[in-house]
Amino acid sequence: MSDCQETRLKLGHPVPDFEIDTYDPAVNNFGKISLEGQKSAGKWTILFFYPADFTFV
Amino acid sequence: MGAEVITVSTDTQFVHLAWQRHEKELAAVKYPMGSDPTGNLARMFGVYDDTSGLALRGTFIINPEGILMNSEVNFYNMGRNIDELMRKYKANLYLAKKTDEGCPSKWQDEGDKTLKPSPDMVGRVHEALND
Repeated sequence: MSDCQETRLKLGHPVPDFEIDTYDPAVNNFGKISLEGQKSAGKWTILFFYPADFTFV
Repeated sequence: MGAEVITVSTDTQFVHLAWQRHEKELAAVKYPMGSDPTGNLARMFGVYDDTSGLALRGTFIINPEGILMNSEVNFYNMGRNIDELMRKYKANLYLAKKTDEGCPSKWQDEGDKTLKPSPDMVGRVHEALND
């Protein structure tokens, strides 16, 4: 078993819906973003994972 | 730009706020900062590291229909090239309109040479790219 799980998502296939809490510096407020909301708005989504705040990204 | 960029780590939205206000490098950041304290979103994308409880440097482009179009994962010690991410995003936008074309590695923007796979191109990619 490796340290990092194998992804189950595949290119060209649907991503299951998700919702996460956010802090949005543009409006200086907390909020939520969901994939369903992005799809309803007709928007592309770029997820940019990084290990930890207060380090380099 | 037409896309929502969401940065995500296993920190909470409260720590995101504190970091963004403290770190001068982030003064101009306008992207929503997503919080994934359970690591569930990182697990879904296969970038959760069980030994550290942190997410690896994964980048994923999802189209407006919710289809995963690009994925790239770097280990902790390597940063990402934002120009290359934008190139891939622009290529995705272009290819969504021109479904019979392909963007070669040096494609940068609309107007640059693309490829249309066909019997004529088999074994002649060099000519297709350079003529």
